[in-house]
Amino acid sequence: MGLKLQNVSKTFIGKKAVQDISFEVDKPGVFGLLGTNGAGKTTTIRMLLGIIKKDSGEITWNGKKVERKNVNFGYLPEERGVYPKTKIHDQLMYFAELKGMKRQEAEEAIKKWAKVLKVEEYIQMPAEKLSKGNQQKIQFMTSILHNPELIVLDEPFSGLDPVNSEILKNVIIDLVKEGKYIIMSSHQMASIEEFCSDILILNKGKTVLQGNLKEIKETYPANRLEVSTNINIDEYIEDNNMEIEFSKNNEYLIKINSEESAHQLLQVLVNNKIEVNKFEIKKPTLNDIFIEKVGE
Amino acid sequence: MNNLKVVTIFTMKEMLKRKSFIVTTIIILLLIILGFNIPNIINFFNKDSQTAENTELLIVDPNNIFEGSLDNLNSMNLGYNVKVSNENLTFDDIKSKIENEEIKEAIIVEKTSADTNLEGIVSENSSSTNVSSEGLDLGNTDNINNANNLENSDGIPNSLDENTGEMVTNGKSTCKLRYIVENMAMISTIPEDLLNAINTVYTNLQISKLGLTQEQLNSLTPNFEYSIEQTEEQEVSGNIMVIMLLSIVLFYAIYFCAYQVSSSITTEKTSKIMETLVTSTSPKTIVIGKTIGIGIVGLIQVCLFVAVALISAKLFLEPGILESVLDMSKFTPYLAIITILYFILGYFAYALLYALTGSTVSKPEDIQSANTPVAILAVVGFYLSYFTMMNPTSDLNVFASMFPISSPFCMPFRIMMGIASTIDVIISIAILVVTILIVANVAIKIYSNAILNYGTRMTFKDMVKIYRDKNS
Repeated sequence: MGLKLQNVSKTFIGKKAVQDISFEVDKPGVFGLLGTNGAGKTTTIRMLLGIIKKDSGEITWNGKKVERKNVNFGYLPEERGVYPKTKIHDQLMYFAELKGMKRQEAEEAIKKWAKVLKVEEYIQMPAEKLSKGNQQKIQFMTSILHNPELIVLDEPFSGLDPVNSEILKNVIIDLVKEGKYIIMSSHQMASIEEFCSDILILNKGKTVLQGNLKEIKETYPANRLEVSTNINIDEYIEDNNMEIEFSKNNEYLIKINSEESAHQLLQVLVNNKIEVNKFEIKKPTLNDIFIEKVGE
Repeated sequence: MNNLKVVTIFTMKEMLKRKSFIVTTIIILLLIILGFNIPNIINFFNKDSQTAENTELLIVDPNNIFEGSLDNLNSMNLGYNVKVSNENLTFDDIKSKIENEEIKEAIIVEKTSADTNLEGIVSENSSSTNVSSEGLDLGNTDNINNANNLENSDGIPNSLDENTGEMVTNGKSTCKLRYIVENMAMISTIPEDLLNAINTVYTNLQISKLGLTQEQLNSLTPNFEYSIEQTEEQEVSGNIMVIMLLSIVLFYAIYFCAYQVSSSITTEKTSKIMETLVTSTSPKTIVIGKTIGIGIVGLIQVCLFVAVALISAKLFLEPGILESVLDMSKFTPYLAIITILYFILGYFAYALLYALTGSTVSKPEDIQSANTPVAILAVVGFYLSYFTMMNPTSDLNVFASMFPISSPFCMPFRIMMGIASTIDVIISIAILVVTILIVANVAIKIYSNAILNYGTRMTFKDMVKIYRDKNS
């Protein structure tokens, strides 16, 4: 069950956009598709949605080949778009009907999601009167209104304020609870780390890293130490041959080579009777991993 | 199929709600109604001047050159109430009459001092209180011979020189007309019909003195019979000018409806909604649904215009005027169906071309330049049909009625003129349908790919590549 891509490639007039990528989303959850600009994320998404044809490989959903005709996925494109002059209700209804919903069904879904996303008051307004963030929520509604099993979200959080980001996060969590498959592409590593169990990092059309996010992180040694003390400890850090990455008000982020060297520093601090308010050995973040993999 | 209906209905609603569409439609409807009222408006103002009208005109003929025949002017419907006076009134006398509003204008008939011949005659006449008719009888050959100095020996009646207001006989004045008006701002010469009427009165006066028989008189007034024949076998009926006018209307109807398709597609591209749209239904459905939707609205709009035009013609035009320019018997149901069919097919051909060019741009400022090739095609097609219509039996017009870019503007009028055979019509429609299918195929293919191209405008080369790329 689920979505499966096997050795999928696509070449645009002379340019290899995606080369031989494979991944599987076999259980409900959020799958993170990462990559720099132009890495091939959107091409991959468009192929799995059946908007553009792949050159080779296979894409299946629940064992059936994905074609434009038989997909009924939800999609929030990176390029945000609404009909500026059309009433929100009318455009939501239009897309719901195109996705095969009955009017009555669609009305109920519009009502429900408008309430959840807190856009009820805008439903009868033309889209051009809405703020960008609210337009984005409307577009998000378009992608989930017809209750699709697979939802593709391309940069869902870009341009949203913290309050709206929180609303969207809660909706995504609820969707996963309902058993939806979600593919999320984002540059915001924090949100990917928050939601995604599995990730795939693309660079120049090729897969550079893929797998379970937790397992990937396990393979990376700890590389940072976060310490907070009551006095300046610069000299102790230098004595231990460590490099300060960032410091502010006696809070330090220190680069370390191994967990041992961190423990050594702690020992020194304790011996000198320095109050240690915080001591945390940190694994690399997804951001670190991403930059290491594609940053060169 | 269901999605096609959804796209069509949505497109229609969008069109009908558009402010620019509503405003344009209302303006055109008002213009149509106004257009059919032009004769009434002109009449209204004319009547105005006619009722206040019949300008009071005093003609002062102290020398009685016209021998009292000027009264005849009143029976000539010139819009003047002519009073004739033989008193010797001066400019000042007339000025006071005009100021007192007794009269509006005046003409003083004066003998010309330059022409001694006339003066001779006139002075001779004026010597007697009762002017003898022979005195002015210029056509009387005896008199002419006697007078000898008169050069008009062939009896041709004298005429008035329009510019000087002097009656001229072979370059020499008979008399001078002093036209006196209140204000010369709007008048630079004696109104032509008044001048002609005075001329006629004078001419008739002279002719009556010739003592002609009824036969001779009749021979002076021509009454020609005539007929028109053509050397070509095909008979063309109908007023070409009116047909050309209708051809312009049909052209604009097709062209502007088709243009909407382009702007509709580009709007969706620029508003970035395209990507959501193509994941909701196939590009083919979008292109065809959009084209049908706009086409239906366009057809309704055109039908509304035609209906309002016909109703206006019935209501506002005097009976017979429409029939005099348009042979209504030519407007058969067959012609109506064919015209609508050509509207639909012509619209589809141009709309799909516009769908093609519309999908190659993603910025509103590029629309104009991308659409230029289609606009040029349309204009070439239209003029090919328009100018060959002046010579409807020419081979070029036959070609125009077959060639798909011009046939929609041409064939309905060949049918109206009764020079298109059924086979011609079938061939022409077949060519047009095949063209539409080809254009549709290319347009949908380019549209499918171009819609996701948000960068710069696509070049013709890109389009060829996309069309050839089997995987896209």
